Amino acid sequence: MRATIARRLLYAVFTFFGITVATFALIHSVPGDPVSFYTGAAGMNVPRAALDALRREHHLDEPLPVQYLYWVRGVTTLDFGRSIRDRQPVAGTIAAKLPRTLLLNGVAFAIAAMIGIPIGLWSGRRPGRLLDRGSAVIFFLLYSLPTFWVALLLMHFFAVRLEWLPLFGITSSYHDELSTGARLLDRVRHMILPVLTLAYAQLAIFARFSRAAVFEVIRQDFITTARAKGAGEGVVLWHHAFRNALLPLITLLGLTVPYLLSGGVIVEEIFQWDGIGRLYFESIRTRDYPTTMALTVVTAVATLLASLLADVLYAFADPRIRLAGGSA
Amino acid sequence: MDPVSRWIVAPAVVLLLTLIACDRGEQVATPEESVDESSPRSGGILYRRLDVDISTLNPVLFTSRYDLMVAGYLFTPMIHLDADLRPVPGLADSWEIEDEGRLYRFKLNAKATWSDGRPVRAADVLFTLRKIADPQSEAMQLGAGFELLDLTRTRAVDDKTVEIGFREGLASQLIQFNYLLPIPEHVYGAGQFKTAFDGGRVVGNGPYTLVRRIAGKEVVVQKKKDWWGPKLPYLDTVWFKTLSSDSTAWNAAKIGEIDETMVPSDTWLREQNNPALKSRLQFLRFYGLAYNYIGWNARNPLFHDKRIRRALGMCLDTRSIITNLYGGTARAMAGHFLPEQWAYNPSTPVLEFDTSAAKQTFTSLGWLDTNGDGVIDKDGRPFQFEMTITAGSTQALAVAQSFQASLKQVGVQMDIATLEGATAIQRILAGNYQAVYLSWDLDPDPDPYPLFHSSQFPPRGSNFVYYSNPAADQLMERGRRELDVEKRRGIYQQLHLILADDQPYTWVIQPSLKWVINERVHGVKISRGWGLYIWYPAQFDWWVSAPPGGERAQTSAAAAAATDSR
Repeated sequence: MRATIARRLLYAVFTFFGITVATFALIHSVPGDPVSFYTGAAGMNVPRAALDALRREHHLDEPLPVQYLYWVRGVTTLDFGRSIRDRQPVAGTIAAKLPRTLLLNGVAFAIAAMIGIPIGLWSGRRPGRLLDRGSAVIFFLLYSLPTFWVALLLMHFFAVRLEWLPLFGITSSYHDELSTGARLLDRVRHMILPVLTLAYAQLAIFARFSRAAVFEVIRQDFITTARAKGAGEGVVLWHHAFRNALLPLITLLGLTVPYLLSGGVIVEEIFQWDGIGRLYFESIRTRDYPTTMALTVVTAVATLLASLLADVLYAFADPRIRLAGGSA
Repeated sequence: MDPVSRWIVAPAVVLLLTLIACDRGEQVATPEESVDESSPRSGGILYRRLDVDISTLNPVLFTSRYDLMVAGYLFTPMIHLDADLRPVPGLADSWEIEDEGRLYRFKLNAKATWSDGRPVRAADVLFTLRKIADPQSEAMQLGAGFELLDLTRTRAVDDKTVEIGFREGLASQLIQFNYLLPIPEHVYGAGQFKTAFDGGRVVGNGPYTLVRRIAGKEVVVQKKKDWWGPKLPYLDTVWFKTLSSDSTAWNAAKIGEIDETMVPSDTWLREQNNPALKSRLQFLRFYGLAYNYIGWNARNPLFHDKRIRRALGMCLDTRSIITNLYGGTARAMAGHFLPEQWAYNPSTPVLEFDTSAAKQTFTSLGWLDTNGDGVIDKDGRPFQFEMTITAGSTQALAVAQSFQASLKQVGVQMDIATLEGATAIQRILAGNYQAVYLSWDLDPDPDPYPLFHSSQFPPRGSNFVYYSNPAADQLMERGRRELDVEKRRGIYQQLHLILADDQPYTWVIQPSLKWVINERVHGVKISRGWGLYIWYPAQFDWWVSAPPGGERAQTSAAAAAATDSR
């Protein structure tokens, strides 16, 4: 068990550095650099000296491997440098925006999982029944609706027509004068529409995934055996079927974590939820290397941790893995 | 267009500081006509939109028009530009230009003070200029406008008089002083200059002071009741909300969350006659100093000959694009200068859509379809090229496809290459393209030297179409040194004809800008070239009618502003 985790950790470290090299190489091979963004195609003779100063400050005048080393040295001390666009320390910007994205996506995923998984498990139990077919149709319909369209529809109906919910943002402009309870309510009200937009499509994923897992298990011999030995339906489901259906769900949750972090650019943009998704997009567009690189590292680390966690959970959930780990 | 595509379509927008214009000649309902004539009311809050969050409050380091828009409330520029974009006094009461445009002497307003009560001194102007000239400041925008600054001849004559020297005398220099918003040396003289404005403390000399700035959300400024300037603005508080999504901004304008926003053409065309909205929103449309064009890389043998460029231009069905794509809200163009500019020559002909004349030109130059494949060829090479458009704009794609279709009729094969913005810029500046669809935002000074003079090929300037005509060169050289506006107009009117004849670009359209403004906002006037704001007085003449009792945001925001400004 411990050896399994240790080995995984070692892999993770290698993978991490692989990712940093790959990201660094990728972003630097894209044409255009932060300085070209400043000068653009505009008819402005931006003074050479100022451009050179900017390049020097961000080590853009060094050869690529040296730039990489500068950057890695910073990363190991959690110094991601300053943004080229707004001159603010990147770590601070990410620290401010990351919780917002995590909160939004976390709530959306939790809701999607809480609704989707039980429905999936239930419909997988008796494939072909009305609940199974009905939920399949509804979930696929939801899944196929484009996010931006649903977002605008929700916005139009609830924020413009009815004026029940705020149109955009994370808090109201008068947030600061509210009492603590009212502030909380204000935040919740701002979250409803973006969460709905994020959650509806995820429903289908969770439901279909868990349905498939149960469907797989329910047809296996040991279930027949369990039924044959006279176990009640509840025992068969809870004790035998669902437990075994857990494994693919752990995988799914592991895969979900990167999405929690990277966020939905579209939802964040439409609802002006000032989180990581928009920052990422904007930093790539403006070739703000320090920000893009830092975000990639954060996402990569989180993904690695999540897959590590999934592996550990596997070990707990699946005796076979536990055994194999122990003997390794 | 969403903000992303707007930046990508016009990379220059981000940098070239240019604002929005109008056309008084058209039947656009100017708001002064539509508002009630009750007298202006002092007080109230105006909610403005920031399409892009500001990157700094430091007016030396501004990079976008939004940075400058906010800074314009907190600081006063050396000179203002009036509704016709002509210089009028700002921080400087008066000025003299000597030594053929190489020396400017400004007399500062004697009453001008900083928000901490200290007087504005000539030394502050010097300090600001030194910061601009210092490469370590990375003052990209201002650095470009003051590239010719000669610090050795720049000095404070007395406490309120400053002399500023330049290595060359250019007629366009005066307007650059509109971007020069001096900052106080006693506040920003020490410490880290690049981050000095980030702490939230801003000492300026504008009619407003900063209440707060929350990155990504809002900037709030409040009127300084004892401001030194000639006329106190009406609005008590101006509340900028960062709102980058156009569709969300449109919804926000509808429910009164913001009082003004630019809207995309399709929204504007669809909604302008919506009776439910007409009572709540003023729909404005006007022309700015911006246009879209196709640039031909003249280093490519295909486009070296102006007859070919003209023939290609004749295959662009501008009228159809204006009618079908812009619902009639754009103009066909006669060359580089725009009707809003004094340099415009009204007798310049528009290159008309005429595929048969184009076909004749190609035939007369030996381009014939000898192998019957539908594409004309010469010396065994087919007439085939690639036009680059920037990703994210459906309109650019539609224009390109319309062009592609008419070119096909005359046997020219055009392929469309869609590139992401920064990538496109890099390729274009490297000369690694054949034709490109782009747009310009122009400066209020009409000097086209960086765009068309033969000394301005990249990387020195922006003549990336490699246009070179000695006659045009000579006019541009004379034009930028001529300080007499009437003489200068004559020079540029000649140049206008030459450029239109040579067609280094195919000028496509001048799109109009569409805005909605809440009906409670009054006194909105439109300048000739810069539209709604940044000229003087513009936004400082706006006022809002009293709220009809208990607008929640209105009252609570006022309370917030009051508590924060203690």
